[in-house]
Amino acid sequence: MTPPAPPRGRLYGRNVLEGVFRAGPDEDLFLGELLVAVDDVTSRRYLFRVVDVTYGTEHREPGWAERVAGTMLADDARGEPGAHPLYEQGRRTYRAAECRCLGYLTPEGDGAGGDGASLLRGGGVWAPPGGGIVFRKPKSLPTQFSRVVAPEAADFEFLRTRMGDLSIGRLRSGETTVDFPVGIPGASLASHVGVFATTGMGKSNLVQVLAGQALQAQGRYGLLLVDPHGEYRTALARHPWAGERLRTYAARRLPNTSTLRVSLAELTVDDLRTAYEWSRPQEEALFELERHYRTEGLSWMLAFSQVDDLPGFRDVDLGNRVALNTLQVVHRRARRIVELPCVATDPSVSTGGAVVGDLTGGKVVLCDVSGLGSTEEVLVASFLARRVLEHWSGAYLDDAELHERLPVVAIVLEEAQRVLSSNRDRESNVFPRLAREGRKFKVGLCAVTQQPKLLDSELLSQFNTFFILGLADEKDRNILRSSSKQDLSALGPEIQTLMPGECLIANLAAPFAVPARIHLYDDVVRSAVPPPTPRLTARPNVAALVD
Amino acid sequence: MPALAPVSGSLEAAAARVAALLAGAGAGAGLADRTLSALEFEATVIPHPLQRTAPPADVWAVDGGQALVADARCLQVVATRASRVRFHEGACVLEDEGELRAQVLAGAEERAAALAALGLADMAADTPVDVNLLRDRWEWEAVERSVEEAEPGGLVLVDGDLLPDWRIPSSFLGRVLGRAAERAILVAGITKHSSLSRGGAPLVGQLELEAAATLGPRALWWATIARTKATATEPATEAAALQVVAARLDPDARFAFRVDLPAGADPATALGAVSALCDDAAFPGYPYPLAVADRLAACPGWVRQEAALRLDELLAQAGVAPEVRERAFADRHRLMERA
Repeated sequence: MTPPAPPRGRLYGRNVLEGVFRAGPDEDLFLGELLVAVDDVTSRRYLFRVVDVTYGTEHREPGWAERVAGTMLADDARGEPGAHPLYEQGRRTYRAAECRCLGYLTPEGDGAGGDGASLLRGGGVWAPPGGGIVFRKPKSLPTQFSRVVAPEAADFEFLRTRMGDLSIGRLRSGETTVDFPVGIPGASLASHVGVFATTGMGKSNLVQVLAGQALQAQGRYGLLLVDPHGEYRTALARHPWAGERLRTYAARRLPNTSTLRVSLAELTVDDLRTAYEWSRPQEEALFELERHYRTEGLSWMLAFSQVDDLPGFRDVDLGNRVALNTLQVVHRRARRIVELPCVATDPSVSTGGAVVGDLTGGKVVLCDVSGLGSTEEVLVASFLARRVLEHWSGAYLDDAELHERLPVVAIVLEEAQRVLSSNRDRESNVFPRLAREGRKFKVGLCAVTQQPKLLDSELLSQFNTFFILGLADEKDRNILRSSSKQDLSALGPEIQTLMPGECLIANLAAPFAVPARIHLYDDVVRSAVPPPTPRLTARPNVAALVD
Repeated sequence: MPALAPVSGSLEAAAARVAALLAGAGAGAGLADRTLSALEFEATVIPHPLQRTAPPADVWAVDGGQALVADARCLQVVATRASRVRFHEGACVLEDEGELRAQVLAGAEERAAALAALGLADMAADTPVDVNLLRDRWEWEAVERSVEEAEPGGLVLVDGDLLPDWRIPSSFLGRVLGRAAERAILVAGITKHSSLSRGGAPLVGQLELEAAATLGPRALWWATIARTKATATEPATEAAALQVVAARLDPDARFAFRVDLPAGADPATALGAVSALCDDAAFPGYPYPLAVADRLAACPGWVRQEAALRLDELLAQAGVAPEVRERAFADRHRLMERA
């Protein structure tokens, strides 16, 4: 007979959604710890998450604990620590853990009030008799004073089918890592993913792990990763599947990369409006120039950038319809864009087509735009995102079979607040459109930011998956609480105290925000099973075939 | 124009009198105990420094509690219990909250039955019975048992003084303390809030200030205050003779307490040992085992309510109609408060 798990406490109060249990004064309880209240009456196992831990005492006199602390402090001050011990501290004091009920485990088919007695075996130990165990949202109150115990491996089995095929880490209970893989379904990339963390909390590692999983996904998912800092190129290249599945483009000369060149003909005025701040007259000037030159895309920029006599050009070519100072601003920017190393004036140059081709093949495409300015980086990202969205939406509208075959693709964008903030022009900006419409075309955004509070809340509500790492700013936490697909209302302290590599995953697949410890990318690389080596074909032995 | 004297019966008049007493303007500087006259007081009370020694290996603590379960004024049901705690080698090895004993207090018939239930000889048949007598009787029964069970050299602490309710024969106390002496058990009573006075003002408070001034604010001290005296009607046996002292038992104690000891005990030695139990951070200066016994013996509201509910059930089983029960025991004061 297996002895029952030693109790960590006894449940004593609160309601269906919340619980509070008493534990010994030395019970080491952690924020975010997952525990189980064993209801011996109904045989249900209620899963709880610790959201706060407080001190408790048997003594009801006001100020009792303060007085005790004062006495001890005075002893310390006199150099007599321990002169006044607290007798029987274990009996007189305790800890009270505030919890949120995540749901309960019950045998399949066991309706409310059903007899689950058969689940209890050997001293109350959970031993399901072959039947399936289902997880249900909390709708009933566990029996008061139920034992609270550490969860068993079987308690998380219901999660296994919901954790998807993109494994990003292991389940975490407080500070303990549970040997249970957690992740997200790759299909959920299309319904947008947010990665939120302050500096040093593990955003880059998480993105690498996610990219590593996409590399191993046998072409089921495409990932376009716009890397402004050049931090992913070396790391992703180390992945055993990089040779098969990784394509790297760089805006500057780098080893083992293809050149990232965007032709002016491929760019549009909307890309410019996404990347740069334009005044209304400046935007009108852009349209005026577009009408004047009547060239493909922004090809007119080359000619315009070479105009020497702007006043004359304005008077003669534009019919004096644009103010000179407005035209000067556009001209200055046009010259800068034309001179960008990643911009080609030759319309036959097209990285966009290659990138789309790689993504349709289920590859991870890394665009290293390090060396570009922030604005130009957005210009490139906007262009690529637009191309991807056009291709996938075109297939969706015109060729359903082709669209069916296309992999789910996600566009990973660092510092996403630059293009998803509420004050960005939504009409021309491809990213809000992608957030609103991308899901049906199987194109998702993976927005990485340190400041979710700067994101447009309506756009954020389109994100069905949140990876929440440590966030110190309460405003950041608040906007995530209001937009998350899972209730995060009580998890503020936990989010605040997350250590690097620890995160909460909130999405529609899991019934609650799943605490996780993200794999270290180096470990992922080490443990990844390499792709099968192509079988060498032996040269036919013609002689053997000849009698 | 001269100030008018406060009107008698006014709060101002009461305050003036209290101020005078606290200032030492009471009738003489004599020592007294408002509740008991069978003490011979010292001529002068002098605080002596106290040395804390090692705690006894075996320490028992006894306290009694009470609750009024049902009150029809002419008819009351009270409950008492006596709790015991044992600390052996510093660890708590026994917590016995004691059986809740119920007793009906009503007319002569119930009084006779209650007296008989007390099981004490030498009590007059017309002895009035109230909850104080019941609680003290069983508390001292618990003291008696503790004296028997304690290891030689042990200590039995009692909450309150060592003078049980006046209706309990002194022969009983003499027997208990005599048995304790035989077994080398020290019995000590600790009174948190005593009625000892000097010149009409609270004595222990005065001693606290005096000792702080003469011995220092963190000094442990003790002072003999009185001894029991023999009276013509109830001559104290030698074993029942007591000495009453005041003592401050920890450097951080906020208060000193009255401590009753057998007359034959050496106060410095006895109090030094008791002091060693008074270093709990929550209650510096009060023996921790007694704090535990106090908690066990307390009859909080829920205990009273449980007992009242059980009594109501039993009355119902006995066929007493609900309206009869309700009208007998309804708290009519509470009804008025609601109005």
